[in-house]
Amino acid sequence: MAASTICIPGQRLGSTEEFQAGKGTYTRQGYVYSSLAGFRHESKQGEDLPELQVLLEDQQTVVPEVGSVVTVKMTSVNPRFCRCAILSVEGTPLTQSFRGMIRREDIRATEKDKVEVYKSYRPGDVVLARILSLGDAQWYLLSTAENELGVVLAQSEAGVNMVPISWCEMVCPKTHSKEFRKVARVQPQYLIQPAGT
Amino acid sequence: MAKVQLSLGEKTFIIHGVQDGLRTDGRSCDAFRPMELECGVVSNTSGSSRLRLSNTEILVGVKAEMGKPRPTRPNEGYLEFFIDLSANASPEFEGRGGEELATEIANTLTLTYDLKNVLDYQALCVLPQQCCWVVYVDVVVLECGGNLFDAIGIAVKAALYNTRIPKVKVQVDSEGQEEIEVSDDPHDVVLLDTCNMPVLVTVSKIGQQHVVDATLEEEACCLACIVMAVNAKGALVGMEKKGSSSLTMDSIQDMITTGKKVGMNLNSNLSSVLQEIGRDASSSGFLS
Amino acid sequence: MPGDFKRIPCPQETFQPQLYCKSSTKKQLLQENGKRADNRSLDEIRPIFLKAGVVSQARGSAYIEACNTKVICAVYGPHEVQRREGFSMQGSLRCEFKYATFSCPGRRQHQTDSEEKQMGLVIAQALQPAICLHKFPKSQLDIFVTVLQNDGSAFAAALTCASVAVADAGIEMYDVVIGCSLRQAGETTSVLDPTITEDFYSRSVDGDASNHGSVTAAYLPSLNQLSAIQQTGEIEPEVAAKCLQKCIEGSVRIFPVVSQCLIKATKRKAQKSQQTAKKDDV
Repeated sequence: MAASTICIPGQRLGSTEEFQAGKGTYTRQGYVYSSLAGFRHESKQGEDLPELQVLLEDQQTVVPEVGSVVTVKMTSVNPRFCRCAILSVEGTPLTQSFRGMIRREDIRATEKDKVEVYKSYRPGDVVLARILSLGDAQWYLLSTAENELGVVLAQSEAGVNMVPISWCEMVCPKTHSKEFRKVARVQPQYLIQPAGT
Repeated sequence: MAKVQLSLGEKTFIIHGVQDGLRTDGRSCDAFRPMELECGVVSNTSGSSRLRLSNTEILVGVKAEMGKPRPTRPNEGYLEFFIDLSANASPEFEGRGGEELATEIANTLTLTYDLKNVLDYQALCVLPQQCCWVVYVDVVVLECGGNLFDAIGIAVKAALYNTRIPKVKVQVDSEGQEEIEVSDDPHDVVLLDTCNMPVLVTVSKIGQQHVVDATLEEEACCLACIVMAVNAKGALVGMEKKGSSSLTMDSIQDMITTGKKVGMNLNSNLSSVLQEIGRDASSSGFLS
Repeated sequence: MPGDFKRIPCPQETFQPQLYCKSSTKKQLLQENGKRADNRSLDEIRPIFLKAGVVSQARGSAYIEACNTKVICAVYGPHEVQRREGFSMQGSLRCEFKYATFSCPGRRQHQTDSEEKQMGLVIAQALQPAICLHKFPKSQLDIFVTVLQNDGSAFAAALTCASVAVADAGIEMYDVVIGCSLRQAGETTSVLDPTITEDFYSRSVDGDASNHGSVTAAYLPSLNQLSAIQQTGEIEPEVAAKCLQKCIEGSVRIFPVVSQCLIKATKRKAQKSQQTAKKDDV
């Protein structure tokens, strides 16, 4: 990384005629200003004006936004919906969890009427989900109606992490009992490579 | 604060109107709504007042009780302000809902009245370090139609004008013990000098213009306002910015000028009205 | 957080011993050579030490020291709104302002009193225009300010400190906020950044009390606007406007300190993350 300059909130970075405002900046009266204390980055893509960004070295402040993929842990399940705690947003862990809710009809994309919540999720499951809407004052509304979304980690009744065998079943390696889950086909970029490989 | 729900169109209407010097109720930008003031409305108090400013209704009761002077000011009495934003005025104030706003108003009043020019606090002392008058000023908001600060400021001043504190004699008996005797003659009273007491003026910034005595609808369009305490001479005895937006120095200067003008006007009008009402006014019922 | 109203931590009826001192000679605000008690000129602010990132557990934090006025501030969040409130597309700001019990000449109580509550509200209101709250729908940002030692202008220091802490937390802001206090003594004398002995008290003035008071303002340097104004005492409107102008001038002088502090903090963070990255490689 080039030795880029550090800016502070409210610092004027340039005119909107020369630059586009990117992350960590805002525009006011024809000028681009920084909104973070961080490093100034310029990136040029094609014919567009160069984009100005102010980036932090460590993690950005995140809150769940509509459309972002989040990692949640199920906290309670009932026939109509299940409740969960949002633990991280797009891979950035949150310091404090937010409450979320997945309704029965948002669990999978097909045969929505035949979904049974307890055959999809159980309390304690770690699930990938997408934010559907900001919901009401208390709950974010989440959806897992995509192949890539659903259970990532689940423990069997014996307390062992289960192995997925199909998109709707997982098996316990210890007792070989099968349990129903809405399993996610986790995309390779989300998989953490074990060290040394 | 009690809020009304306004659509974007309604807000634009109000903001554009104010921009051209027009308000929805036909007032000019520095005019108050019609007021109705009554004194001596509650019989059990030392002084009371009721103010109706269009849809805002305030009832103030003043009670003078004997207490111990504050250790930092051994030869002075003191005022205590309490604001009760009753759930009558708005369901939002139910429970502890109005607490934040109530502390804000009470603090503003305490700060502006706590100057030695405002009131002769030493006259409220009976025996230094032992006994003084504690004047409790209790404000009840019965209806909230915008501009609470100003309405409360006026009502408090009127109630203090109406306040009658019994005369106290201190006698030293044969053993050198001091004895306090309160006069039971209802006409043997001490009156408070209110001519230096300030009134509050809220100047609200709406769009590029500013208005005084904003209605609830106008308050919903206003992002920042300045509450000023103005005394009869036109000096500021307290100033606070409220609201979620910031202000430029130029607009602050304009707002202060307006506040001074309106405040002096309000003060002189109020004192002439109070003189008309008289010190020992009493009325039997209100809301009539 | 509801206070503990049932437990009384100590007898309430104690006073500071200074009250029983026989009042000595009245202190003069200015020395004979026109300087102040600590040899500052009228419009000279105290040297400021400001450091961001002092509380490791907090999202952002800052510590400010102007001679004997010391304030620390920590920012947590954005997190879920705990209280049952309506849905809001804007984030909300909560600020708790507290004097440490030993920070002032007299002992303060543990429970937040109404003055402290009010200060908290004013700080939240002063920071609100500077923070991009629309970036945090439904969430809440907590700002905790503790005055460790109060030698005048603690509130102004708290404003600056809180804004640096928010910037240090990586919260998007339109601008930084800088607080500055001023004590007006008579029509022409205004004392910038007063110490606790120079500060205005409603009974400290003998004789004519007009144009005696104090003004505190919060200034947004990039927007060139004021986000908080607090004035006490009796001041003519024209003089008050001048006071605000002087507060702005004072704030402008504090701004380089704030900017340097934030740049340093950003550099420190960058170094730290590079170091951890290196460790991971090894």
